[in-house]
Amino acid sequence: MITNDGPLIVQSDKTLLLEVEHPRAEEARRAIAPFAELERAPEHVHTYRITPLGLWNARAAGHDAEQVVDALITHSRYAVPHALLVDVADTMDRYGRLTLTKEGLGDSPEAARLVLRTTDRPVLEEVLRHKKIGPLTGERIDDLAVVVHPSERGTLKQELLKLGWPAEDLAGYVDGEAHPIELDTRDWALRPYQQQAVDGFWHGGSGVVVLPCGAGKTLVGAGAMAAAQATTLILVTNTVSARQWKDELLHRTSLTEEEIGEYSGARKEIRPVTIATYQVLTTRRKGSYTHLDLLDARDWGLIVYDEVHLLPAPIFRMTADLQTRRRLGLTATLVREDGREADVFSLIGPKRFDAPWKDIEAQGYIAPADCVEVRVTLPDGQRLAYATSERDDRYRLASCTDAKLPIIEKLARRHTGEPTLVIGQYLDQLHEVAELLEADLITGETTVKERQRLYAAFRTGEIGTLVVSKVANFSIDLPEASVAIQISGTFGSRQEEAQRLGRLLRPKGDGRTAHFYTLVSRDTVDADFAAHRQRFLAEQGYAYRIINAGDL
Amino acid sequence: MSTTSRSLADDIRGRSDRELIDLVLARPDLARPAPADLSSLAARASTKASAQRAIEALDRGHLQVLEALVVAGDPAPLPEVLQLLGTDDEATVEAHVADLWTAALLWRGADGTHVVRTVPDVLGTLVGLGPPFPERRPGATAPAGDSLRAAIAAAPAAARAILDRLTWGPAVAVLPEGGAGATAARWLLEHHLLVAASTDRVALPREVALLLREGRLHRETTLLAPELTSRPVSAQTVDDVAGGAANEMLSRIDELASAWGAEPPRVLRAGGLSVRDLKRTQERLDVPAGFAGFLVEIAYAAGLVADDGEIVPVWAPTAEVDEWSASEGGRRWASLAIAWLTTTRASHRVGTRVADAPVNALGPDVQWPAIRAIRREVLSGLAGLPPGHAADADALRARLLWRRPLRPSRLLAEAVGGVLREAEWLGVTGRGALSTPGRTLLGHHVSPGGTDTAERGAGDIASSRESLAAAMSAYLPAPIDHILLQADLTAVAPGPLVGSLAAFMRLASDVESRGGATVHRFTSGSVRRALDAGWTADDVLETLRRSSSTAVPQPLEYLVSDVARKHGVTRVGSGAAYVRSEDRGVLEALLAARELGPLALRRIAPTVLVSSADPGALADMLREHGFSPVLEGRDGGVVVAEPARRRAGSRHRTAPPALSPIDEAFTQALVSGLRVAEANADVRRAHDVARLGPTIPATDPVVSLALLRDAIADRHGVWIGVSDRYGATTRHLVHPRRVEAGRVYATDETGREQSYSVHRITGATLEAPST
Repeated sequence: MITNDGPLIVQSDKTLLLEVEHPRAEEARRAIAPFAELERAPEHVHTYRITPLGLWNARAAGHDAEQVVDALITHSRYAVPHALLVDVADTMDRYGRLTLTKEGLGDSPEAARLVLRTTDRPVLEEVLRHKKIGPLTGERIDDLAVVVHPSERGTLKQELLKLGWPAEDLAGYVDGEAHPIELDTRDWALRPYQQQAVDGFWHGGSGVVVLPCGAGKTLVGAGAMAAAQATTLILVTNTVSARQWKDELLHRTSLTEEEIGEYSGARKEIRPVTIATYQVLTTRRKGSYTHLDLLDARDWGLIVYDEVHLLPAPIFRMTADLQTRRRLGLTATLVREDGREADVFSLIGPKRFDAPWKDIEAQGYIAPADCVEVRVTLPDGQRLAYATSERDDRYRLASCTDAKLPIIEKLARRHTGEPTLVIGQYLDQLHEVAELLEADLITGETTVKERQRLYAAFRTGEIGTLVVSKVANFSIDLPEASVAIQISGTFGSRQEEAQRLGRLLRPKGDGRTAHFYTLVSRDTVDADFAAHRQRFLAEQGYAYRIINAGDL
Repeated sequence: MSTTSRSLADDIRGRSDRELIDLVLARPDLARPAPADLSSLAARASTKASAQRAIEALDRGHLQVLEALVVAGDPAPLPEVLQLLGTDDEATVEAHVADLWTAALLWRGADGTHVVRTVPDVLGTLVGLGPPFPERRPGATAPAGDSLRAAIAAAPAAARAILDRLTWGPAVAVLPEGGAGATAARWLLEHHLLVAASTDRVALPREVALLLREGRLHRETTLLAPELTSRPVSAQTVDDVAGGAANEMLSRIDELASAWGAEPPRVLRAGGLSVRDLKRTQERLDVPAGFAGFLVEIAYAAGLVADDGEIVPVWAPTAEVDEWSASEGGRRWASLAIAWLTTTRASHRVGTRVADAPVNALGPDVQWPAIRAIRREVLSGLAGLPPGHAADADALRARLLWRRPLRPSRLLAEAVGGVLREAEWLGVTGRGALSTPGRTLLGHHVSPGGTDTAERGAGDIASSRESLAAAMSAYLPAPIDHILLQADLTAVAPGPLVGSLAAFMRLASDVESRGGATVHRFTSGSVRRALDAGWTADDVLETLRRSSSTAVPQPLEYLVSDVARKHGVTRVGSGAAYVRSEDRGVLEALLAARELGPLALRRIAPTVLVSSADPGALADMLREHGFSPVLEGRDGGVVVAEPARRRAGSRHRTAPPALSPIDEAFTQALVSGLRVAEANADVRRAHDVARLGPTIPATDPVVSLALLRDAIADRHGVWIGVSDRYGATTRHLVHPRRVEAGRVYATDETGREQSYSVHRITGATLEAPST
């Protein structure tokens, strides 16, 4: 045999398979983590992928091709394909040929220009001839350098990355307006992985931190602010979430009510720490974004993007202009159904921290969850209606079947006494379910005040069951919820599924297991979409059990 | 060795047995068909065709020495040759001369070394040199070296530029029509530095060119093969990488066979596989473009896929695939490796363009017999390095260009690149160094002299196949018999799977990622495929349970049973005719009627019977037996599904022709035969001489021609026998002038020029020296 019995198998399609039960698995994982992206983490074999982006990030973090090759060869069970090693070396060699630097004219720092400089003239010639890059650059300084307008820094980096010649950004950051922020750690402390995430981010300058829902991303944000000691702009998805950020910051840091402003549809406060919603920033009046001034309103030292996987397109464009500020992206699932992950990486920054959900669960920081898919058979009449319906109506027909109602009731009864959420997509269905369970309902029509009242009542245990629409997908903190019943969703959205499960993952006081039920109509598109939705979680190691409704 | 030879024939007759054996080994074409005697051996050696073959086999070092010998004159003195070569390495040059003599491209007379007369013809324009003075200007005395040297030194700049252009050839140029160029050319002509080649062309005489080249013939003399630069690689790594590559190769061929077995691609009208089908295969196998072409070609060379020869021909796996797939990994590899080493198909050409049309895989343009020799030479070059050393590709290229100076260098360079790439894919090399199995392959299938494997016995190959298989087996990852099942519906096989499990996994799941391990994904489609192939849900789950080292995850179990639940709910079958009736009693009667047995009626619903009989025949038979059926229209007829797995008939592969190799033993026998024949010929010659008058022996045309050529050169008279149109032989004493296009032009006794067809000349003999 020719094996050296390593835990790693290097595949020809540049994926790395890591056998989890292998005694040296952890060592191998640490060795490959700097350059390979964790793609799937099911129970036995984890899949990492070597991507150019990952290799360039490794270069940016100071690793060289030799280390990468060595890590592969040392831990690999079989001989590593030569072509792959050559490719790794070639790809890593592309990084750093181009650098973005500040070069002063004379001694005055104000007159410093942003310069794209190369060590390899043909590369510069190649990129300057590219039709999207040429217009972003200005006057040619010499054979090896060209001036770049500061406002094009982000766009240029984005385009260069697409072209495969990533620029090393050495132009640095502005410090921003200083503002003292301390973590108030009298009754808590950053968990080890949170501290690692903060350090990883701060060391790298900008980037994205990926943590499971309920693992305390807000605290990573607070930690980053404490490290920056500067005025901070926090961008969040909605108003409820903005309030939660505010409460959390008040509780966990030295910041006071007066120092934190809310910039939303309702209020327009600009304070040293300002929390704004994506929605207000992307509101357009007469074709122009009227609230963009906010970004320039203060000399921000740090910008935090909450739920970065939802970042709307206009914010991308604005972010391109903010390359001199430190940027922190927070998310649970860096899967975008629109496939714009690469833009996140090039504009916000590379992934600085990532941990498999199951690892965090094993450390006890998130609750264990039991995922069950319940298959419901459509009654004959509905099957016929389904078979003859228009394609566009099929999902609605299948997911809103009344055959689900008795199952919802049965499940709710089984978990009486445990805080339960019923989550759905279609309002008619939600109303019906709320009536059936005699529970309160929160939808987009519910006022913010009413929502907060209901959430508060749920948190205190005053009400045991809440029926919610997709407004509850994100960033609402309901620590005690331990049962969720998903009755319909946004088609095959993987991240919605992850977010919904995330509602249950706050560790419970008594350490009990959370239950996540998904009700699915058999043999319909509902089942197909469910399979797609579950893929992300299955790849994170959450094994769904599938049971028939009759077996409950 | 005789030192008093007067011709090549004399020289050859004077050689020892050992020397003759070496000659035939160096030029095997001389032995087939076996020549009658040593004279005809000599004559054959001096034919243009044979000389060409011998010269094409020369490397650059020998070629340069031969060129120097030709230029140095007849006979060629060694010091002059050394000077022309610009070297003082006398030993090497002498060794090269000895090699050329062994190959009978030279002969040694009393006055020195002579080049065989056909050699200059084959060489053509010598290293860009023009003709020497005397040939161009009959009667004129050649200008002396000193005066030429002085003229060159005095040449004006424009003239000098012309000389510089012509120095390294081509030596002929168009005369400038006017201006400074014309003046300069005129100056050169006046000073005998150029000669007029025709009315508008000038040539640089050989003597002038050599002066300009400072006495050297070649810009660069490379008598010895360039050193192969190499870099060390760990020998263990080499074999590991080779084993990994071989393993990957085997699994890709398996996949190719199963892909083409299910959906065989069409054979193009001109033969070959269409670009689109190759692309599709490439995507299906998830390999780089060049690799796909190589896989397809090697599968073809190994007889694993073939044109099935049907009316609409398709490329399908042959029946041999099944046996091949089931055999042990090392053997599977051995058959591919041998096929690769011996094939004349140059798969690196796939996807390139020839005459502006793309070269299709499996098409006729891929055929290139020269690739076999190139492949061997590249591998021999690698084999010459110590184990665990990888040759630099450029050095290998340079070496091959030195070995084959007369081949187009671009094609050669491409071919070397192709061979190196393919060797790496196949596992003959690992990280660029020859692997242990690769060395075994070469050891068994290429004899030290570079003789063709095809010339070795077929039995020989079969026995070496086993040792080759064993050599590779040691480095192939051991097949494993378990998989890891995961809840995300994937299964990971952490190594190559044993045959039956691999086939099952290919059937019941889709491959997601390949390499040392294989990642399979179960989908409802893939599970359905297994059920379609006759597996039941229980069988599938049982096989998974048995093969998995961990528990079968619940979602997978559910998937299999869920697909099985729906599988077969609707059924499709075929029948040629149906009988339907609302009266079930009638149908019962039909089923019960014994005399309707041949119709094989079958009930598929309470009111429907089907039969495979033709509807007309069915109706007739029912009528015969007292029923009165009515025929229904045939619209909505059932289509019979083709079975999905096609197999072409075995590709007709005859055993390679069993040739006796031209080896020591064979040549020994040949030479002793020639000796006897030669002795007989001597007796005959002695007998002829005893007779009065010129006797014209019947000689082989090549012998006659050689003699005539010699006579032309020596301005000797020749008695020839010419067969006239009535078959009678007439005798003529002629002075041959030239041999051209199969005719001999000569002046006969009357002083008139006559021409004779070579094929009508029955024999020739030199005129006896005048008394």
